[in-house]
Amino acid sequence: MEIKNFTITKRDGSKDQFSLDKIMNAILKAFDSVEQPTDLGAISKILSRLDIHNDITVEDIQNQVEEALMREGYYKVAKSFMLYRQAHSEDRETLAKLQFLSEYCDSVNAATGSKYDANANVEHKNIATLIGELPKSNFIRLNRRLLTDRIKKMYGKELADEYIDKLTHHFIYKNDETSLANYCASITMYPWLIGGTISIGGNSTAPTNLKSFCGGFVNMVFMVSSMLSGACATPEFLMYMNYFLGKEYGLDYYKRTSEQADMSLKKRTLDKVITDYFEQIVYTLNQPTGARNYQAVFWNVAYYDRYYFESIFGEFYFPDGSKPDWDGLSWLQKRFMKWFNQERTKTLLTFPVETMALLVDENGECKDKEWGDFTAEMYAEGHSFFTYMSDNADSLSSCCRLRNEITDNGFSYTLGAGGVSTGSKSVLTINLNRCIQYAVNHKIDYLEYLGGVIDLCHKVQMAYNENLKELQEHGMLPLFDAGYININRQYLTIGINGLVEAAEFMGLKITPNDDYLHFVQGILGLIEKYNKQYRTKEVMFNCEMIPAENVGVKHAKWDREDGYFVPRDCYNSYFYVVEDDSLTIIDKFKLHGAPYIEHLTGGSALHMNLEEHLSKQQYAHLLKVAAQEGCNYFTFNIPNTVCNDCGHIDKRYLKECPHCHSKNVDYMTRIIGYLKRVSNFSQPRQEEAARRFYAHAKSEV
Amino acid sequence: MLKYVNTGIVFQEIPDEVTLAINISNCPCRCPGCHSHYLWEDIGLPLDTDAIDDFVRKYGTDITCIAFMGGDGDPKGVNQLALYIHETYPEFKVAWYSGRIRITSAICKTDFDYIKIGPYIKHLGPLKQPTTNQRLYRQTENGEWEDITSRFWKK
Repeated sequence: MEIKNFTITKRDGSKDQFSLDKIMNAILKAFDSVEQPTDLGAISKILSRLDIHNDITVEDIQNQVEEALMREGYYKVAKSFMLYRQAHSEDRETLAKLQFLSEYCDSVNAATGSKYDANANVEHKNIATLIGELPKSNFIRLNRRLLTDRIKKMYGKELADEYIDKLTHHFIYKNDETSLANYCASITMYPWLIGGTISIGGNSTAPTNLKSFCGGFVNMVFMVSSMLSGACATPEFLMYMNYFLGKEYGLDYYKRTSEQADMSLKKRTLDKVITDYFEQIVYTLNQPTGARNYQAVFWNVAYYDRYYFESIFGEFYFPDGSKPDWDGLSWLQKRFMKWFNQERTKTLLTFPVETMALLVDENGECKDKEWGDFTAEMYAEGHSFFTYMSDNADSLSSCCRLRNEITDNGFSYTLGAGGVSTGSKSVLTINLNRCIQYAVNHKIDYLEYLGGVIDLCHKVQMAYNENLKELQEHGMLPLFDAGYININRQYLTIGINGLVEAAEFMGLKITPNDDYLHFVQGILGLIEKYNKQYRTKEVMFNCEMIPAENVGVKHAKWDREDGYFVPRDCYNSYFYVVEDDSLTIIDKFKLHGAPYIEHLTGGSALHMNLEEHLSKQQYAHLLKVAAQEGCNYFTFNIPNTVCNDCGHIDKRYLKECPHCHSKNVDYMTRIIGYLKRVSNFSQPRQEEAARRFYAHAKSEV
Repeated sequence: MLKYVNTGIVFQEIPDEVTLAINISNCPCRCPGCHSHYLWEDIGLPLDTDAIDDFVRKYGTDITCIAFMGGDGDPKGVNQLALYIHETYPEFKVAWYSGRIRITSAICKTDFDYIKIGPYIKHLGPLKQPTTNQRLYRQTENGEWEDITSRFWKK
């Protein structure tokens, strides 16, 4: 080996003068550590095997030393050298964790401090949230290893390498890589109703009365949620509660709610008894949860109009052989919504996320007039919830973002309540902006290039599915075994992000126009083609425009760093540009209408941002507009004002507290589907929220 | 000849309706403190029955009401378009935001469903202020005009 003036690259990327002495010392130490004598001749022979070039990395030199030691026959010395390296790399990792720990403690809030997978559902940062953050990097490594090992087995090493390459170069993004559990599920509680929590590792028996139902429900949701990385939807919640209310107070209980139902000194009415149970359940489930790194459980519920209810639960039987009573449930649904809307003026309550499921006729009119009317009424009263409209009861939401088709409405005593069991096992997202720009810049047809990426995503998801099956075979997934979730009704989800930005790169105008529509349909149609191609009896795929709470920010940052066209700091999660004030409300409904969302089988909820509340008649008309345009999943989002000084909560979007006139106010808004305080979102998301255009209900005249 | 500068979908101007507001230029009122200075000049695209047809083609029944914002330079022109809409597209209501103190007798008020009158007077405030001089009337089923200005004052 010739000695020259080399520079080497250190681990932190900085350069240093190459020093032969340092390498010699390290080798001598390794010999010493195993008490093997050596001489200058032997060391020279080892050194002569090294191939040092300018800017070589420390890692590379050490790898070469290892190999040289072995080639010269010093196996024991080589092993000692490897162990020494390993110990140092562990030290470095601990050091990095220590540094993260102190940075996290200094960050403004939990979402900004989080290095991986920031989530606004953590309200405060403290020791419990910190404990949740620290192992995240290990989970990412573990999940990647689990997946690549499986991909190698199923499709070969080349594909596994391509997955890591596309992942590390941000063409794709694996959602929830920091968790081991499958994503989100809409569960049937039927197994709990007949057997309690024993089958999923708990110790409570089946609920027998209203009190044990309400108490047990909370525990059951906590248990289920700790085995999911995302949301847990309980579409039967109010139906079961209505069943126990009927058993306890008679089927016509809702006609006598002003009667006294309590022998205590408080003499509570039946209505008060019911709303006290609401309070107990809702407040408990909004608490930070120990088993989920201090995040609340992502609890979701559904309301139905009569027709939706009948088509889903028409064949449902309770264990005592009775059928659900619609009239009681209809009353209870309304009571819960009214109560929850009221309660939200007292406390910031994020959960449950509610979805109203309405059936519409061919003219876009709600089939159930009463419930269509009530939906408009609740929006006009300032309540914030999602609406899902369809001409047949084909879908349910498993969380605030994914709606999943339900294939079988049939009720079965062994499988539970038919169609309510659905959800998404895993989400793998394609960064469309980068993929399309890469293809165009390399003169490749972008659909052809995307086809390759989409195919890769499907294979990776198939591999994930095999890993999940293996976990299930080892008894690790009791939710599936006990029938809360039916694995065959769960989807593997292909997420998309950066669609609007990619269209802007292609020079398209983001308005309802044929060119943009053609672009959208081309891409989503291609994904659907692969979704169908990979579908088997046991795997189903769907496609979702992900809310990209933090992925949208990351993609924008990474793509900008790598020299791509990036028109904004956070990629849109809608079909329109969120800060574009020239689009009308009707344009936005059109851009989330049937032609655009046709292939978006996993859904995308339109968040219609408004500055002021509308009247009931106006909301009623907008429901009709949504139905006519074929926009099936949406919510109206009017920021609620929270006074930082006196704590007053107002349903309106105000600059000043109407109570104490303080200008120190914060807002509750939906950015990712969950209604949260703006100040709890990560820094870049807060900036997006500030830029977001809330349509003025008033013109400038 | 009426001209318009832009349009918008609005909710506050006409209570309970989803309204296409057409902002008409060449406004002769020129209220001191006007928020829409850009409408004082004679600019924009022609507002005729063809333009109305285009709007209807674009929005269909996604809207419930079409409102003329201004047009006091040619009230008869506004009246003709209102009549055209009622005759051709009876599903839409027609509204007129006029800056005049009263509607001239040359206008057939029954061709409108809503009429707002009154210039903007700064110290009296806009429709939202209970002290406003402006008034919004709605034609009831028996053809009378009901003052619904108080709808703007509710919390």
